[in-house]
Amino acid sequence: MTNKEIYVLSAKQISIQQPLSEEWMTNPTMYEVPFCRSIDPSFKEYVSPIEARRMGKILKRALATSKEALKASGLETVDAIVTGTGYGCIENTEFFLDALSKEGEQLLKPTYFMQSTHNTISSLIAIQTKNHGYNATYAHKGISFDSALYDAYLQFRLNKISSALVGGHDEMTETFYQILKKGGVIGFDNEICGEAAVSVVLSDKQENALCKLSGHKIIHQQGIDSLKEKVAKFLQENGKTFSDIDVILTGISGYKANDDAYMSETKALFGDRPLLKYKNLFGESFTASGIGFYVAAQCLKSGFVPRNLFVNEKDISDQRPNNILIFNRSDGTNYSLTLLEK
Amino acid sequence: MTAPIYITGCGVVSAIGLNQKQSLEALLGERSGVGLLTYLKTEHKEFPVGEVKLSDAEMRKLLGISENAITTRTALMGMLALDEAMKQAEITTEMLHEIGFISGTTVGGMDMSEQFYLDYISNDFHKEYISVHDCGNCSEMTAKHFGNFAFVTTLSTACSSAANAIILGANMIRCSEAEIVIVGGSECITKFHLNGFNSLMILDTKPCRPFDATRNGLNLGEGAAYLVLESEKSVKKRNAKIQAVLSGYGNACDAFHQTASSPDGEGAYRAMKEALEMAGINTTEVDYINAHGTGTPNNDVSESQAMKRLFGDNVPPASSTKPFTGHTTSASGSIEAVFCILALQNGFLPVNLNFSQAMDDGIIPVHQPTKKDLKHILCNAFGFGGNDSSLLLSKFEQK
Repeated sequence: MTNKEIYVLSAKQISIQQPLSEEWMTNPTMYEVPFCRSIDPSFKEYVSPIEARRMGKILKRALATSKEALKASGLETVDAIVTGTGYGCIENTEFFLDALSKEGEQLLKPTYFMQSTHNTISSLIAIQTKNHGYNATYAHKGISFDSALYDAYLQFRLNKISSALVGGHDEMTETFYQILKKGGVIGFDNEICGEAAVSVVLSDKQENALCKLSGHKIIHQQGIDSLKEKVAKFLQENGKTFSDIDVILTGISGYKANDDAYMSETKALFGDRPLLKYKNLFGESFTASGIGFYVAAQCLKSGFVPRNLFVNEKDISDQRPNNILIFNRSDGTNYSLTLLEK
Repeated sequence: MTAPIYITGCGVVSAIGLNQKQSLEALLGERSGVGLLTYLKTEHKEFPVGEVKLSDAEMRKLLGISENAITTRTALMGMLALDEAMKQAEITTEMLHEIGFISGTTVGGMDMSEQFYLDYISNDFHKEYISVHDCGNCSEMTAKHFGNFAFVTTLSTACSSAANAIILGANMIRCSEAEIVIVGGSECITKFHLNGFNSLMILDTKPCRPFDATRNGLNLGEGAAYLVLESEKSVKKRNAKIQAVLSGYGNACDAFHQTASSPDGEGAYRAMKEALEMAGINTTEVDYINAHGTGTPNNDVSESQAMKRLFGDNVPPASSTKPFTGHTTSASGSIEAVFCILALQNGFLPVNLNFSQAMDDGIIPVHQPTKKDLKHILCNAFGFGGNDSSLLLSKFEQK
């Protein structure tokens, strides 16, 4: 096992903010709707019109963010492609399920089925970039992106890889939004349900990096005392104490039960360290934590945290954080900690 | 040299049995579990399938789960397999707070979504099943039945999901992130993927015949299997009995097509090669290959080519056990890994049922019952999108 450093070379997003851009930092698009789909760029550059016709939005966005992230990283190829997606290719799944339910089992065409499995995303990126390296996909609720990151993180530590493209991709159709809302999965209080496509390139080379990935851990819920113990151990393993952490990026979203839990748990875990949020700008989605990673990396790179990311007014300052701890809480069942440093 | 990863427990549920003992008897007795469709409600009665011979209600009863509980078939099969694996490895609920659980699935709770979709879009009936649709929910539901694990996540790489869950678990142990991780996968047959595979015209209306000249597609199967992976330190500490060793693994992408394999089997070749290199063994030391061998014209050509490229003229004895179970999709990687462990422990080569005529340029699979002392087995699992993985399982020998 090696202790080589891991750097974030690039991070790109398509979301409800301006796509493939950091315009949200100075000029965010604000929403007061319960659900909205991402702002898409033109996909012409990334996929031919013939191919695009058969692809769900999730695939086009994944190709665009991946190709842009690879380009910005300066790497020609990566050793691993790992993707997290909570619900996978929902649009194609819905089309196939709808036809199956309404038209029966005799006349189904393969088009939508072929691009309905979760791993379509990772493998499409591999096919398009001719990458024969490690390839995997995780689908585990709000820690889907985190699981993909964890996979890559372990392989860096084992010296199996020296670069990786890690993605978090989820799309949401109007029909699935209504279904999941009915099922009590999403759409609470003032939360905005969005979509997210994030691609980041990690490498053991530092050149032009946005920031450093110092530590990453996933924890399954076992009560606040156990969580405290594990957070303390995580910081210790990374040579940090609570007071060394400049800011904590939370998943506060406008859903009261979620936000209350974030407030009480961060207080118990980190005392009164300054808290940040990002879902007020990007909305909630199953791979929102990937957006959190992107936001933290961009803030460290630019040395600037937009005022509207601070949870408490008293914490607003122009001080440039040297590190950001991303504290992701998925339904109170799964947690992840990700430490990014300048 | 990397530290060994030990396997200290296994559990398996498929069309040929609800545990290792029944599976072994069927494998040795050459009894296939593939037959007429019984449990899945579909118009497509023409396709033979390898169903687990229990209804959801019967599984719930076996597991002591209330009749009215919200469950999915994938999770129920997973619980049966996990129960056997934990018992064999002597893992108790009290130990779970330090143990990880990684499961592979692709259909997740689709068995319920496809039954109730029309309700979901028009009324409130069955809305309690909406939250169990996603893959992650299946793993959580399976895990929760036993207690509170330290870590839970879900791999979803189609038919190699369980194999990739095994790889992540092994990497966690090698990074000292855990001493014990339970890994594998579960998948039930759904109308969704039966129809999907049918639309791709890769289902055979006869029992599947992997590596046979007359092969004409796969039979779907279902099931679950989990393996308890454990570090040397933990094995010594609790004096655990070692069932087998995971001595290598490889994952590569064919990067060729979403639903077809390349003619030269590039992904498969790379995955197998990487597994051997990691274990530090030569191609001549592999005693048996449990092939992915689905029985589709495309897979078996591609996989044969990959084996020939890696092993030259000396391809080890190989067979596909899918004629026994059907293609158990996301669970196949761990189900077949357990079959390999049974073969290592009992010294036999599983037969490739239904084989009669060699294909052009293909391998000739094991088709006679063969007793053989086995040390190293390669176990292949390949998925849509070219997600190819290979595991090297070795016999544990006391030094």
